[in-house]
Amino acid sequence: MLKCAHCDEQALRPIYSAADGEYQFPFCCHGCLTVFELLKEKSLTSYYKIKNASGTFKRRSPVTTSSETFNFLDDERFEATHSYLNYEGQRTMDFYLEGIHCLACLWLIEKLPEYVEGVASAKLDIEKSVVSVVIAHTGKFSRVAQELNQLGYRPHALANSNQAKDLRIQEEKKYLKRLGIAGAAAGNIMIYSFSLYAGADKSVASLFNALTVILAIPVFTYSAWPFYQSAITSIRNKTLSIDIPIALSLLMGFIMGGWNLWHGQEENYFDSLTTLVFLLLLSRYFLKKIQDKGLSLTDLHFFYRNESVQRQSTNGFEEVYSDFLNQGDIIKVHREEFIPADGIVLAGSSLMNNSLLTGESIPVKVDVGAQVFSGTQNLGDELIIQITKVAHETRLGKILKNVEQGWALRSRTVDLTSTVAKYFTLCVVLMSLLLFAILLPEGMEIALTRAMTLLIVTCPCALAISVPLTFHRSLSQASKHGIFIKSDEVFEKLAKVKEIFLDKTGTITLGRLQVINLNSQVPVNNIIYSLEKKSRHPVGRALVEFALEQSAKPLEVTEYLEIPGLGVQGIINGKLYHISRGEIRENGKVIATFQVQDVLRYDSKTIISHFKKLGHKVSIISGDRREVVEQVARETGIDNSYAEISPEEKVKIIKTNDSLMVGDGANDAMALEAASVGIAVSGAMDISLRAADVYLTTPGLVSVEKILILSRETMQVVKRNLILSLCYNSLSVVFVFMGMISPLVAAIIMPASSLTVLISTLLGTKKMRSLWKS
Amino acid sequence: MEILIILMPLALGMGALFVFLFLWAVKRGQYDDVETPKYRMLLDETIGPMDPKKGKEI
Repeated sequence: MLKCAHCDEQALRPIYSAADGEYQFPFCCHGCLTVFELLKEKSLTSYYKIKNASGTFKRRSPVTTSSETFNFLDDERFEATHSYLNYEGQRTMDFYLEGIHCLACLWLIEKLPEYVEGVASAKLDIEKSVVSVVIAHTGKFSRVAQELNQLGYRPHALANSNQAKDLRIQEEKKYLKRLGIAGAAAGNIMIYSFSLYAGADKSVASLFNALTVILAIPVFTYSAWPFYQSAITSIRNKTLSIDIPIALSLLMGFIMGGWNLWHGQEENYFDSLTTLVFLLLLSRYFLKKIQDKGLSLTDLHFFYRNESVQRQSTNGFEEVYSDFLNQGDIIKVHREEFIPADGIVLAGSSLMNNSLLTGESIPVKVDVGAQVFSGTQNLGDELIIQITKVAHETRLGKILKNVEQGWALRSRTVDLTSTVAKYFTLCVVLMSLLLFAILLPEGMEIALTRAMTLLIVTCPCALAISVPLTFHRSLSQASKHGIFIKSDEVFEKLAKVKEIFLDKTGTITLGRLQVINLNSQVPVNNIIYSLEKKSRHPVGRALVEFALEQSAKPLEVTEYLEIPGLGVQGIINGKLYHISRGEIRENGKVIATFQVQDVLRYDSKTIISHFKKLGHKVSIISGDRREVVEQVARETGIDNSYAEISPEEKVKIIKTNDSLMVGDGANDAMALEAASVGIAVSGAMDISLRAADVYLTTPGLVSVEKILILSRETMQVVKRNLILSLCYNSLSVVFVFMGMISPLVAAIIMPASSLTVLISTLLGTKKMRSLWKS
Repeated sequence: MEILIILMPLALGMGALFVFLFLWAVKRGQYDDVETPKYRMLLDETIGPMDPKKGKEI
């Protein structure tokens, strides 16, 4: 199978560039080909050299090209909210780029100053796919954006939510500092403790002991602060988290060590406890880092409205940022553009693609006086629209608002570790009280010391370290394959999922029409191609694609006419041809018939059967017409189907426990949010990303199956680690009750348990290891 | 064991120095993006155009 030289997708019908005399690269689509030709023109073909030499680390989908001016980026008001001055005082704007996937992308992007005038520097954060572009006085952001767009990296300017961003960076830096100090102190303490265990002289021993206490102070106060904080928060909220026993154990250890030093005894658990703090912080830092890989919610907020629009002013139409529209403004919407706000058509007639908003696959005709909605796409001629509602008042805005409120109201589910922590803490506290009571006849001091020791050595460190690490491993593997998960809670929820709801358009099907059969008495390919090549109607595009496959050539067309809702016509070689409603007529006589269909993705059927095999109940839920939905359900073997469902009704159906919604577009956004887990599959930037817990950068259901299996296996590993670490804890308890515990024994058991769960985490499960191979 | 009087402050001092250097690096933002630099360093300053003969090896 040939792979596209640009995006590495399988090129089912490879196309080759005419300008490419020497390389003979296959491309999967015109988008990728265009980018190649552009790179060749700029003599930047080293891109492919680097790409082939280094391989890719993210998957990307084929390039879709569009020509936009991005002029709104230069608008002063836009610059005020989206650009900022870097530390050298230069104007900077951050863009999220679609399609960053390999080392060569990094090379190409950071070379921007060499081929775009006025760019001072460009720095790419490859993990977040965010480029910071610094421009010189002469430069324009619109110019940069145009260039990036042409190269196939569709840019989305990020608002300078500087405060939120700065806060996050400050928070992270603080965490790193805590981590560094804990690591350094733990290492040094270990050296002195080791010589104490080895039997240092009396005079040296007391010096070493004092040193360990001094070194431990910053660890117990500064580094361990997050544990105390989180413990206090959870006590206040009357919940139990794993941090409570940890904080308790640290506190007890610190008090006991200080007390012993005061009384001239060398016994303390500082070596084990400081190492523990270090490892805990480290595992949580890793998890946090990987979760930051995806886009944060605040970043996503800006995607769906980041468009420019033509607004009428005193000197004709001018380009403005869609956010600056007001009620009553008159705007012009060109062919293929999205409508930025709700309004009424003043002039023109056209076809609207409502699939994003309602899920309907067939375009709807609109005329003067008709209402159009924000988020729908104009497929026909240009429309003049008067705006009636903007921002949150539009239908799309209301959906978004609902989604946002839903997120805010979402209750945090009690996860497995917290449940365990609850019983664990109770158990440990009761046991230490019991121990205290048993030993009280032998003296207050012995009883107290032993009870405290119990609390120290039963610290659930192995468990607390292994859970973040397990999630980290799964998250990083998932993100490597283009699956981004917003929070680690998702694994547990997904492992419990019983019912799967699938959206039809774009999820099970390709989301675009294809000609499935064409009966004709005479060759019609050239006629179809010539007539339909200008049409943006989905049926027209399907016909053009079909004709191109049969290597159609353009003919001369006169008196071309596209009638919204009634097809296209034109005169070729003196004969009037008319294509409409599945028929091609020559001078009024039918010469050919054809059928179009939104075809299934090639793997949908297999994967749906896999879902069933995994024991899930699968339903299809769509806003499309009943017969279309039912046909897809029949073809894929889904028993349950809901058709002609509005976005609001979807929520009611889905609001069951343990449901998974897979979909895309605004029409699914509320459903994605309402389900216990929502997966956005589009791979495109739209509102559904904001509502979903998981988003996939590559289309199709394969990744959905993978993430389902991954979640189950991840929870298996978590449970295994849980049992392992509880075993070690029980062992410690036995030692304490038998009076055989000492800092040395603790120094062996604690790391041993951590090491065991670490190995268990790294091994994963057999299924997990084989999951990504195919 | 008198040597400890020299060695211990030396060891602690070195440790403190590295902790200080780490904190300084964190503050300067050297850990803000730890992913990209490891790829960036693989790119040479100048990379010539691709060799046509190897083009087919995709």
